[in-house]
Amino acid sequence: MGGLRTAESLRRTGFEGEITLLGAESEFPYNRPPLSKEYLLNPETKIHFNLNHDTLQSEFVLGDAAVRANLKEQTVSTEQGKTFTFDYLVAATGLRSRSLKFENNLLTKRFSLRTMSDTEKLRTAISSGMKVAILGAGFIGCELAATLTKLGCSVHVIAPEAIPLALALGEDFARVIQRNHEAQGVTFHMNTSVKDLIGEDDIRGVLLGDGTTIDCDILIEAVGSLTNVEWLADNNLDLSNGLLLDHALHAVTPEGSLTHVYGVGDIARFPYAHRQLPARRIEHWNIPIEMAKRVAKDICFQEGLDVADYSPTEVFRPLASFWSDQFDMHILSYGELHLATSTKLLDGDFDGEFVVGYYRDDELVGVAGLGMRGVLNTYRAEISI
Amino acid sequence: MIKVIVDMDKCQHYGQCVYEAPNIFKLNEEDKLEYLATADDSELGNIQAAVDICPMQAIQLIKE
Repeated sequence: MGGLRTAESLRRTGFEGEITLLGAESEFPYNRPPLSKEYLLNPETKIHFNLNHDTLQSEFVLGDAAVRANLKEQTVSTEQGKTFTFDYLVAATGLRSRSLKFENNLLTKRFSLRTMSDTEKLRTAISSGMKVAILGAGFIGCELAATLTKLGCSVHVIAPEAIPLALALGEDFARVIQRNHEAQGVTFHMNTSVKDLIGEDDIRGVLLGDGTTIDCDILIEAVGSLTNVEWLADNNLDLSNGLLLDHALHAVTPEGSLTHVYGVGDIARFPYAHRQLPARRIEHWNIPIEMAKRVAKDICFQEGLDVADYSPTEVFRPLASFWSDQFDMHILSYGELHLATSTKLLDGDFDGEFVVGYYRDDELVGVAGLGMRGVLNTYRAEISI
Repeated sequence: MIKVIVDMDKCQHYGQCVYEAPNIFKLNEEDKLEYLATADDSELGNIQAAVDICPMQAIQLIKE
């Protein structure tokens, strides 16, 4: 998605050079949010992005992962042994699922969810009446819990924190989500973790830290992700947590920024415009879209094209936004809730629809709500990042 | 002219489009999406941005 949006933005901004989109997956770019929801429920769901090849004028090289980049010589080589040269490189290689290791490290009937093929494998494996254990109570864990419950599975969610999604949304909001899930039949095992897997070939259950066991037919790990940046190694970049960038989204080295190398999307660790805080990655859906626009402008500017109102010193200050659909709950958020030191109920009540404000000292750094879109949106302009 | 089509079966009324193309999209008093089915060419950039940002990818733009 980050790559596609960059190519589209480049064409819209007037870039006329060659564009190659190199992707590890064999699929044309697709939208990931439905993977845990609509696409799992229904294989007919259309999830590929609409491509207009006439205006995009780009070459797609799919199913061949970048394995090495030489930024000095301006080349990228792939798994299948191809080498591409570039004037500008946009790194938008995203994330992969993290997987846990157990003593009894069974691998069958064990799933994660990040790609279309992950969803297809999971869809094939499940059927109504099955017992499913989900490790992790973040957005993917909770969305899967809702979808699999709808599909007739009996779902157990296991996670080390006290309340599902509390890390993302704060405790008050998260309690509402937990209550709603429980009312629909989801069982949570919180403040605990899986110590080992039970079974010989296929998984039969999991052993929790407190010694109790939970039977399951399949196990899904929704325990976070790792950044796909290994291919950028040996270029003097900071790859300690994604790819470190400067304000113009150029890759940073100890000798200064590389103005021909950009990062976009989940791997992009970029600085705050006005806060003395370390650079951060934001894994929200709208971020690659905002980054793509910025990168396209910067490339076109460097190419000497007339880019209206653009200056390379312009601060990059995107408003992050995410949403999540679980059962009948439609959650929407703006801002960076992780910055908050306190929260306040701004409107509604926790028994129905509501809007919560997230504050760092006295500054509003984010809002999130269940329903009440009109009210939620009025706070959008007040968020200060 | 630009034709705007929103798949209302997909739309979850998140209202992201409202910020990209406020002349075309709005949320009504019940927080439901309302939009203009045709727009002037000058709105192309804004509508394109709305198409891209829609979480449900429910908006289609047809240039006529």
